[in-house]
Amino acid sequence: MATQAKVKLVAIVDDDELMRGALQGLLKAVGLPSRAFASAEEFLKSGQQHQTACLIADIRMPGMSGLELQAQLNAEHCRIPTIFITAHGDTKMRLQALRAGAVEFMAKPFDDEVLLENVRAALDS
Amino acid sequence: MTHMVTGKWTARPVASAALRYGLAFASVVVALGLARIFLYFHLPQPFAAFALSAIAITFWYGGTKPGIVAAVLASIVRYFDWSEVGAVSRVLYDLVFVIFALLMIGVNRARSELEVRVAQRTAELTRANEDLSLEIAERKRAEEKLRQSEAYLAEAQKLTHTGSWVWEVAGRCALHLSEEWYRIYGFDPEEGMPAWDKRLQRIHPDDRAKWQQAIDQAISEKSDYEVEFRLLLPDGKVRHLHTVGHPVLDASGNLVQFVGSSTDITERKQAEEALRQAQSDLAHVSRVTTMGELTASLAHEVNQPIAAAITDANTCLRWLNRDHPDVEEAREAASRMVKDATRAAEIVSRTRLLFKKGTPQWELVDINEIIREMVALMRSEVTRYSISVRTELAEDIPQLTGDRVQLQQVLMNLMINAIDAMKDGDGTRELAVKSQRAENEQLMVSISDTGVGLPPQQADQIFNAFFTTKPHGTGMGLRISRSIIESHGGRLWAADNSPRGASFHLTLPVEAEAHE
Repeated sequence: MATQAKVKLVAIVDDDELMRGALQGLLKAVGLPSRAFASAEEFLKSGQQHQTACLIADIRMPGMSGLELQAQLNAEHCRIPTIFITAHGDTKMRLQALRAGAVEFMAKPFDDEVLLENVRAALDS
Repeated sequence: MTHMVTGKWTARPVASAALRYGLAFASVVVALGLARIFLYFHLPQPFAAFALSAIAITFWYGGTKPGIVAAVLASIVRYFDWSEVGAVSRVLYDLVFVIFALLMIGVNRARSELEVRVAQRTAELTRANEDLSLEIAERKRAEEKLRQSEAYLAEAQKLTHTGSWVWEVAGRCALHLSEEWYRIYGFDPEEGMPAWDKRLQRIHPDDRAKWQQAIDQAISEKSDYEVEFRLLLPDGKVRHLHTVGHPVLDASGNLVQFVGSSTDITERKQAEEALRQAQSDLAHVSRVTTMGELTASLAHEVNQPIAAAITDANTCLRWLNRDHPDVEEAREAASRMVKDATRAAEIVSRTRLLFKKGTPQWELVDINEIIREMVALMRSEVTRYSISVRTELAEDIPQLTGDRVQLQQVLMNLMINAIDAMKDGDGTRELAVKSQRAENEQLMVSISDTGVGLPPQQADQIFNAFFTTKPHGTGMGLRISRSIIESHGGRLWAADNSPRGASFHLTLPVEAEAHE
């Protein structure tokens, strides 16, 4: 368990394959290990939520949405610092996410520096 | 009959009995008088000759009975006046009178028979004459009727723009061309029937082969033919013609002629063209309206790969900007970038195609490919409302002839309707798109949702123009979708989906047809 905690895994949940690839590539370039999941369900099923130090998730996905995933994790007492990246972001949704413990709520296309800062902040917390 | 005819038609004047019998007396008296005069001048005694003349005249003009009376009178006169002749002479005289009278009776009978026959013949001739004049009148009436009917026919031909014709197969020459035919083909009837090659020249060069083929086939099969083609007149005008021909065979079954008609359908063609254009314009407007509803989703759909591209570009720079640039990683990031940009371009081009206005393009299309494209285009829209999409596409479906953009429009309409039906509801939200082979060389596409279902009691009205259940709907989507599918020779209908929601099914013929 101790070693796994040190790994500080970043999980990416996005239904868009291109987006997953881009995020994984970015994290790899800065030396952060990551795992990508095509849906919230897949992530929950993987059992890796407990080793995840930071979650980057899309809000709108077929099946369970990003916000529902967050609620589910909260219900499981698995509070993972979460960064939402979405194209549809509106203020109401943003507030809802932040209130539920999200670290940041970013709109696509996003600034990679800002994203990385947020990820690092989450990992350090 | 004969009596009547005789009475009416006899040449002999019908004098009264008194006159006829009077003639007997008068003629004998005249004969006696003449004989006396001869006697007075001592001329030879010619009473017998005068008496015979008197008897003959009486028989001829007075009839048989007065003739006999005249013969008897002549005998009596002879007896009293010329008693001096000998006994033998007397007997001879009387015998001559009797024989003469008998002869005259025979002559009279022959004459009256002849008269009867003449009368009969005359009657027959008169009857024939009467019949003839009746026939002539009848013929005149018939001719008048025929002329009238021809005038009506010509008028009808003019009104329907239909010319009639007959042509001989062997000589390839026209035997009959109606007035309207001349008008349609632009020939002058005054110049006589145009030669075959002159007629051929009037056919549009692009349609000559088609026309020739139809006729060649009809000749070889001795069958009816029907062909639509265009004329190109010397003044540059184009006419659309619809021609039907019927073979005429002789007693031994040889093909001799073709009879038929040619109808000028230019106006109808133009109207059809205008209608097609109007339908196409309407479909375009409806498409643009629908696309308008999708703007947010489409923007997101384009935004997604662009965001990925920007991230990949930044990542690429990071690998290159290191003290020891990692070219391999940079290359990978760059190739991801290519994919991202390609996807963005694809979405834009698909969208642009739907916005494009133009006449329908008929080509071979793969319905599964169209379904996949539209599902991809709707991805953001369905995600937005947390709807899952299930596609079941049969792989063995043959291609069909159709207009890609219009078929995309139908699928888009049906999918948007399905999404609209589900977005405010609870429970599972599933949009299922299925393609399969159907009977009679058809394929079937079904789009099912788990939404609110068809409006109760109004299920049959949803295809009517301006029927809508949406606050900002135009009520044209389903109407246009149905007309698009019908113009492809297919059917579009709706049914309830089990356990909830609605299903829309459409069939399309696989064979290239329906569109003209």
